[in-house]
Amino acid sequence: MSIYLLQIINGIGIGMLYFLMSVGLSIIFGLLGFVNFAHGAFFMLGAYICFEISGSALGFWWALILVPLIVGAFAWLTEKFLLRYIYQLPHGFHILLTLGVALVLQEAVIVWWGPIGKEIAPPALLEGVVVLGSFVYPIYRLFVIAFTALMALLLWWLLDGTRLGSIVRAGSESTEMVSLLGININRIISLIFTLGTGIAGMAGALAAPIRGAEPFMGVEALGIAFVVVVTGGMGSFGGALGGGLLIGIVQSLMSTIWPEGAHLMIYVAMAAVMLLRPSGLFGRG
Amino acid sequence: MNLLTHYRYTLLAIATVLLLPVMLSSGSLATEVLIFALASLGCNLLLGYTGLMSFGQGIFLGLGSYTAGLSLLHMRVPLLVALLAAMVVGAVAAAAVGWLSIRRRGIYFALLTLALGQMFYFLAYTLKDITGGDNGLLNIPRPQLSVFNTTLLPTATQWQYYGFVALVFVVAFTLIQRVADSVLGRTLLAIRDNETRAAAIGYNVKLFKLIAFTISGAITGLAGALYAILIGVAPLSSIEYQASESILIMTVIGGTGNLFASVLGAGLYVLAGDWLSTLWPRWLMLLGILLIVVSLYMQKGLWGLGAQLIDRLKPRRAPRDPSAVKRKQNP
Repeated sequence: MSIYLLQIINGIGIGMLYFLMSVGLSIIFGLLGFVNFAHGAFFMLGAYICFEISGSALGFWWALILVPLIVGAFAWLTEKFLLRYIYQLPHGFHILLTLGVALVLQEAVIVWWGPIGKEIAPPALLEGVVVLGSFVYPIYRLFVIAFTALMALLLWWLLDGTRLGSIVRAGSESTEMVSLLGININRIISLIFTLGTGIAGMAGALAAPIRGAEPFMGVEALGIAFVVVVTGGMGSFGGALGGGLLIGIVQSLMSTIWPEGAHLMIYVAMAAVMLLRPSGLFGRG
Repeated sequence: MNLLTHYRYTLLAIATVLLLPVMLSSGSLATEVLIFALASLGCNLLLGYTGLMSFGQGIFLGLGSYTAGLSLLHMRVPLLVALLAAMVVGAVAAAAVGWLSIRRRGIYFALLTLALGQMFYFLAYTLKDITGGDNGLLNIPRPQLSVFNTTLLPTATQWQYYGFVALVFVVAFTLIQRVADSVLGRTLLAIRDNETRAAAIGYNVKLFKLIAFTISGAITGLAGALYAILIGVAPLSSIEYQASESILIMTVIGGTGNLFASVLGAGLYVLAGDWLSTLWPRWLMLLGILLIVVSLYMQKGLWGLGAQLIDRLKPRRAPRDPSAVKRKQNP
């Protein structure tokens, strides 16, 4: 088995994590025209809460269930008490307010868990490696691919096959029209914000056994999420999936070809896409 | 009197430069205030005058630092040449970053500048041989300001260097104020207020945005160079996301109504940071809360708050607004 094939599998795993990390950002943007600069901070919060729960008697599996709920609850409160009041302002204030939220979360995490990163062990069931040809591959990473694929299917069904999904997609076209049809759009917005941010928290929990948890991972995650949505095209499920996979595979392949530049190449890929297709690979118009 | 109002902001800048040594005991802290005021001015030209919220100002700050550091270390160029080189590199990088990110408007623009900022950070991190990677570029010398071996201004002590930076600051501030008051500045304001209208009138909106970006990059590059020479290091942190974020935050906290507001914002940020970080290392949390308050309640920043207060303290004359009269008659 060639090293490149292995790296592509690896890249799919990373890409699916990137997808899960960015999809909420993208859907929220589609619905509200609102970009949450605290999205990465919620991802980081997910990783830390995973550290806390998986270290307790409950263990990793409970963490995977509880983290999205807890992070979602934080997001719900943020939406209810802060964001709701600034939707009508110019987008600059959206950015500033969520930037403030991100700073508060980052510093709160440092106060609570200290400035030094934490290691999180994968659950006992998924420890160890499998042999693929002449290479070994961690089982946990295979689990991440399977689990994120399942989540992607669920989300796709939610957005494409349910009444809520049609409301969200209609809202992306015009929130005003949707509310004129007698739908309480504020509740939908609140729900989608909670859901999208909770998923980012889950991505943080999934990523924690791979990359640990540290206070500044939020900024890095935010940068990557922006690259994913800009590359894929913003506001759509497909854009986040395509962008996430592309960026994940680029990063993974480059880490064999030029290890120091693997992170750099993500951004170069984005710049290249921007030059060729300013609206993103899967974006409309 | 007319002359006084015409140059009032320049006079405020000069007053600041003179006041800082009276207020502060540390020369390097005072210098830092002026340096970040310059960086914030560059950001204000984009945010306040063109309506572009750039998360990439750290790129130009960092490149300015590296340019000054490299040219002083390896080529032993005179002080002014190092500063000029940093400005040119900052301007060129800004033109490139601007050209790429101006293709998208609004929120996409902010995302793109942030992503490009990360790109430059990883570039600096990857090119360890040139930039020193994590350690930064060390032992940058601080030459004196001299022409033909005659020393015009010594820069050896912190306060002597402050004098030099103060001079640069006042000149730069006056020039940027001139730009803001010129036809170019007014055109930028027109673009900020209504991009579609400005384009319909016939202005080449992208070109004007690019010009604003280039000027901003040059100023920020200058600030980066002055900073590297101040601390003797071109640190990796000056090209990091945090640098872009701080520059943006000080600009917003100061206010974007006029250029001097940026000096206030930078002063508050640097001094509060210096004071609070000794009391409580997690003072950034307070900053986050302040940012939330600013976006909810004082959207014009400190300057706007001050203007509002002065307005309220002024003795009330006859109400100009006819609707106010009406409201008084029928309570």
